[in-house]
Amino acid sequence: MHITRVRFADVTAVERSVLSINRQELEAQLKQDTRLADVAIELANPGDKCRIVNVADIIEPRARTANSGPDFPGAVGRQGTAGHGSTCVLRGAAVLINDYNTGGRRYQRPDEGIIDMWGPGAEVGPYGKTCNVVVLASPAKGTDIDEYCVALKIAGLKTAVYLAKAGAELTPDDVEIYDIPPIRHTAGELPDLPRVAYIFQVFSNQRVPLPGDPVLYGLHIDKIVPTILHPNEVFDGAVTDPYRGYAATYLIQNHPMINELYRNHGKTLYFAGVIISNAPDNAPEYERTANVAANLAKWVLGADGAVLTKIGGGAPELTMAQTALRCEELGVRTTLALAHQGIDASETTLKASTVFSNIAQVDAMVSMGATTASPMLTLPAAEKIIGALEDSQTGAEIRRPASDIKGSFSQLGDSDLMAVRY
Amino acid sequence: MASKKLRVVHYLNQFFGGWGGEEQAHRGPQIVDGPTGPGKAIQSLLAANGEIVATAICGDDYVGEKMNEAAAEIVQLIRRYEPDVVIAGPAFEAGRYGVACGAICKKIQETLNIPAVTGMYGENPGVNLFHKDVYIVQTGDSVRTMNEAITRMVNLALKLVAGHKIGKPAEDGYFPRGILVNEQSERSGAARAVAMLLDKLKGQPFEPEVLQPTHYPVSPAPRIKDLSTATIALVTDGGLVPAGNPDGIESRNATRFGGYGFKGSDSLTAADYDVNHSGYATVFACQNPNRLIPVDAMRELERDKTIGKLHERFYSTTGVATRLEMARQMGQAIAAELKSEGVSGAILTST
Repeated sequence: MHITRVRFADVTAVERSVLSINRQELEAQLKQDTRLADVAIELANPGDKCRIVNVADIIEPRARTANSGPDFPGAVGRQGTAGHGSTCVLRGAAVLINDYNTGGRRYQRPDEGIIDMWGPGAEVGPYGKTCNVVVLASPAKGTDIDEYCVALKIAGLKTAVYLAKAGAELTPDDVEIYDIPPIRHTAGELPDLPRVAYIFQVFSNQRVPLPGDPVLYGLHIDKIVPTILHPNEVFDGAVTDPYRGYAATYLIQNHPMINELYRNHGKTLYFAGVIISNAPDNAPEYERTANVAANLAKWVLGADGAVLTKIGGGAPELTMAQTALRCEELGVRTTLALAHQGIDASETTLKASTVFSNIAQVDAMVSMGATTASPMLTLPAAEKIIGALEDSQTGAEIRRPASDIKGSFSQLGDSDLMAVRY
Repeated sequence: MASKKLRVVHYLNQFFGGWGGEEQAHRGPQIVDGPTGPGKAIQSLLAANGEIVATAICGDDYVGEKMNEAAAEIVQLIRRYEPDVVIAGPAFEAGRYGVACGAICKKIQETLNIPAVTGMYGENPGVNLFHKDVYIVQTGDSVRTMNEAITRMVNLALKLVAGHKIGKPAEDGYFPRGILVNEQSERSGAARAVAMLLDKLKGQPFEPEVLQPTHYPVSPAPRIKDLSTATIALVTDGGLVPAGNPDGIESRNATRFGGYGFKGSDSLTAADYDVNHSGYATVFACQNPNRLIPVDAMRELERDKTIGKLHERFYSTTGVATRLEMARQMGQAIAAELKSEGVSGAILTST
C-alpha cells in the first residue's frame, strides 16, 4: 500500500494512501510491556517543520497476511520462517524508535540520529521523506537499560506489524514478486549465467552487543559462524538491525544489494543466495569468518562470484577483505562496496588511500562515499522537536555534518555517493 | 574565452631559459618579453586563446638556497606583466627545478590570487612538496615527453582561468591534491558493485573506484640479545589515559600521545585511568587497565628475572581513524623518547 500521509484518528486504517492511527489503542498495546514507561506515539509528515532526534532504529510497517507465517519470527511473533507467502507493506511510512531517555548509556553524543522532515536535512537520506510514526518510551522503574533497549526495539517492531495489519486485507496498490526456487530445482537451468552470492555483514563486534537483541530469528549474532539465508528471509523479517547499528531495519527490509541482485537474476547472473556473517574484533575470528563464508560461497552455493559489504569501520573492513581474499583463492571472483569510515580521508599524501587492505587479488572496490568528507549543513530551527530531553538545544538552528543525519550514508548499497580524490 | 586573450607568464630555469648549464645555476632572476624555449611550443598551443607576454628565468641554485625570498622576488618581476595565469616548467625529473616551479606557483597563487600550473615527473621531490597547493601535471621523466606535458598544462591552465570544473586527476592528468569529495554517481553503490563483478567475471577490464594504500615498509629491529638485562616499555594505541585525560588525547583521529609514569606500582588501578577510544568496546579495559597495559604481568616477569626491568612509564595514544602519516610521526617521537630513556625493547598492545 502506498502511504503519503499519516494522522491520528478514531480507527486505525489505510484509506486513499492515508494511514490513520488510533493513538490510544496503539499506546495501550505497547504499554503492556512492563519494561517501558511513558509510552507515547508522535507523528511527522514530510514537509512538517519537525526535527526528530535520538532515533535508534527505523522499521518499515509490514505484516504477513493470513497463513503466511509469524511476523518478525522470534522477535515479535513465535518461531517460524520468513520469506514465503505474502506480506503487506506500507510503502512510504516508517516507524522510528526513540531512546532519548537512557541516561547517557549507549550514546556517543546526545541527540545523535537526526531526521529533519523539511529543508536541507530532508534532502539527505531517505527518512525525511517518509511518513514517520515515532515510538517514544523511557525505562520503567527498575528496568535495566539493556532490557529497556530490547523492549523499545520490540515495541517498534510491534508497531510496524500493528500498522501494516490495517492494510493486509485490502486490495494492494502494487504487487512485487520475489521468487528464486530452491537450488535443486535450478541445477542445469540458466547455465550460461554466473552464479553470484552476496556476503552480508550484519553486526560488528566493535560495538558491545546488546544482550537479548533479536537480530536473526530472535537471536543475537555477535558470535556466529557465517550461515546461508534465502534472500526473501532478509526482506521478510528474519533479520533486524542490531540496536543502534550502522544500518536500519528499514534498510534491511528493503536491502538494496539484494534488490539489485534480484533485478539482475535470470538476466545477467543467477542469484545464488545470501551468506550472513558478523565482523569479529580479533584476527583468529576474522580468519574463521573468512574461511567459512568463502567455503559456503564456493562449495555450498556453487558461486562463481560474490559481492561483499561491511557494516561499521576498520575491523569489519579487514574481515570483508580477508573473506574476499579467501573467495578469490577458491576461484570465486569478488567485488566490495564500502562507505569509507575515517582512516585517512584527510590524509593528503600521494600514497593516501581510504581503505585499510592492500591485497592484490582484492582489487575490485566500489566507493559509497566517505563520512569524513561530509559537507557541513545548516539545519534551520524546527517548530517541533520529537525525542529530545526538555533541556535540549537541538531544536534551534544547528550546524552539523551531513553524516549526522540518519540514513545519509549507507553501507548496504543504496547510496549514490562516491568518494573521489582530487 | 574567445572574448579576451589571456595574458600568460611562463617560468623557466637557467637551462630551459637558454642561459646554460650548472655554471649558470647561481644566477638571480630576470624577466624577458615574449616566449622563450619551450614557451614557443606553449604559445602555439595557446594559439588565439592567450599570449605569453613574458618569460621569467632564474638559476635553480639561486631559488634553492633561499626559496621563499627568491620566489617572492620572481613574483614581483611577474606582477608587472599583470598576467591572468602563470605556467612554470615543465621540470620533468629535475629536482631543484621542480621544487622551484612548485614554490613559485604557490607564491603566485598566494600573492597575485591567480592560478598557476606546473608539470613534473612523479619522482620529482617538488611533487611531494607542492601537490597539495598547486596543480602539478604528470609528465614523463625527460624532455621527450614535452609535447604531452605542455598540452596538459595548457589545458589545465585554460580551465582554471575560465573557472571550469577541473576533472578527476586521471582525466586531467595531474597529481591528486589530496582533497576527498563525495560525489553523486548516476548509479547506486549496489548497481556499480554488481556491474563491476560481472565485468570481472567476464574477464573484462574494470575500473576500481578505490585505490589500495601503499604502506611504508617497516623493518623489524634486531632481537634483544639478553632479555634478563633489558628494560622493556609498554606502548599502546588503545587510548589508556590518566583519569581526566590531562593531555587531551583525541578519541579518534589522534594527533597526540602521552607518556605516563606508574613508578613502583605493582599494577594499574582502574580508578586512576580512563579509556578514551571510539573504536572498540572499552568496558574491559576500563574495568582493568592492566589488560591493556599489563603492568601486573610485567612485574612478575621482572621478579622472576625474565626481563631486567619494566620501564616505569607507558606511552599511549588512540589508534582509530588515525592518519597514517600522523601515526608514523607519533611512533617516531615515542621511539625517540624510549631510546633517550634507555629502553631496549617495547611491547605494543593494540585493540
